[in-house]
Amino acid sequence: MTATASAPTTALAGLLLAVADDEFVIGFSDSEWTGIAPLLEEDVAMSSLAQDELGHAAALYGLLAELTGTDADAIAYDREPGAYRHCRLLDHGRGDWAMTIARRYLYDTADGVRLEAMVGGSWAPLADLAGKLAREERYHRMHAGAWLDRLARDGGEGRERVLAALAELAPDAATVFTPLPDEPALLEAGVLTASSAEMERRWRAGISPTFERLGLPMPPPARDPGRGRLDHGEAFRWLWSEFTMVRRSDPGATW
Amino acid sequence: MTAKHVPGTAAPELVAWEVFRREKDGDPMRHGGSVMAPDAELAVHYARELYGRRQESVRLWVVRRADIVDLDDPDLLQPPLDRLYKKPGGYVMRDKLAAARAQAGQAKPKARSK
Repeated sequence: MTATASAPTTALAGLLLAVADDEFVIGFSDSEWTGIAPLLEEDVAMSSLAQDELGHAAALYGLLAELTGTDADAIAYDREPGAYRHCRLLDHGRGDWAMTIARRYLYDTADGVRLEAMVGGSWAPLADLAGKLAREERYHRMHAGAWLDRLARDGGEGRERVLAALAELAPDAATVFTPLPDEPALLEAGVLTASSAEMERRWRAGISPTFERLGLPMPPPARDPGRGRLDHGEAFRWLWSEFTMVRRSDPGATW
Repeated sequence: MTAKHVPGTAAPELVAWEVFRREKDGDPMRHGGSVMAPDAELAVHYARELYGRRQESVRLWVVRRADIVDLDDPDLLQPPLDRLYKKPGGYVMRDKLAAARAQAGQAKPKARSK
């Protein structure tokens, strides 16, 4: 596979890794609901959403592996926790159902804006893949939106819990739009059709009517925005030990 | 329509929804199964996950079970008298014809030639 005329491989690789790690981490986090979701139907739904995200991660890691001549599984599983580049929004642990819904809503809406900026991009392999992912993510937003609506309109415990979840996530909500080190090169080459600042503006414009309607506080700008994809804490180290457990049990085995 | 959940009250009740699915264009809608959900929106989500997530359907109908008009009255559906005449095959005429021929002294006609 060739990079585009003007975007260096390192810039493309950085973008793919960030997006793939986001999808991988949220997919694995949500898979923790399998068997314990609030009702059977929701258990199936959340497990299926989690599988979708892991599928998206697999496709993105696959593209990255092709680009860099490496192995997708090795990228997904063989890094130390500090080498993952997902955004800090996904570093809060599974939490309760309201936390999962709040995280999903914030992430899925942001991911939708990001996919839009890649669909029209100049690197065909990524633009094509982003188009496919965007079609599946539409449903994810519907699902998260339906639940956010129900929790927020519930005057009792549901609303309290979703407010608490949003309060915890708020400082990290915008970290999906942490500028990548090579963003200027990606914009220059047209791989991304919008800067992270522009994407964040679109995201805020997109979600603010919902937040207003539900009487929820809009997330503030990200704290320490330059490190939005670094400094993964204890919750992620635990998650990492879970999702690498089998792989580490027999390094180099053929599965 | 489904009752809306009143904020601050107990969790909305789950009710049953019947799901019909079309497997591919041109097929009839067939009953696929059911889901439990508190309202139409989530019922559609769950129907999609349970009867459509493997791309096995091109259309779903999700119907609240309570909205279905049910009929299982045996007097109306399984009446005791002979209703063969209402079936496309009608009565079995073979025995009656044989008796009529015997009475008239006629042999069974041969199959018509072309």
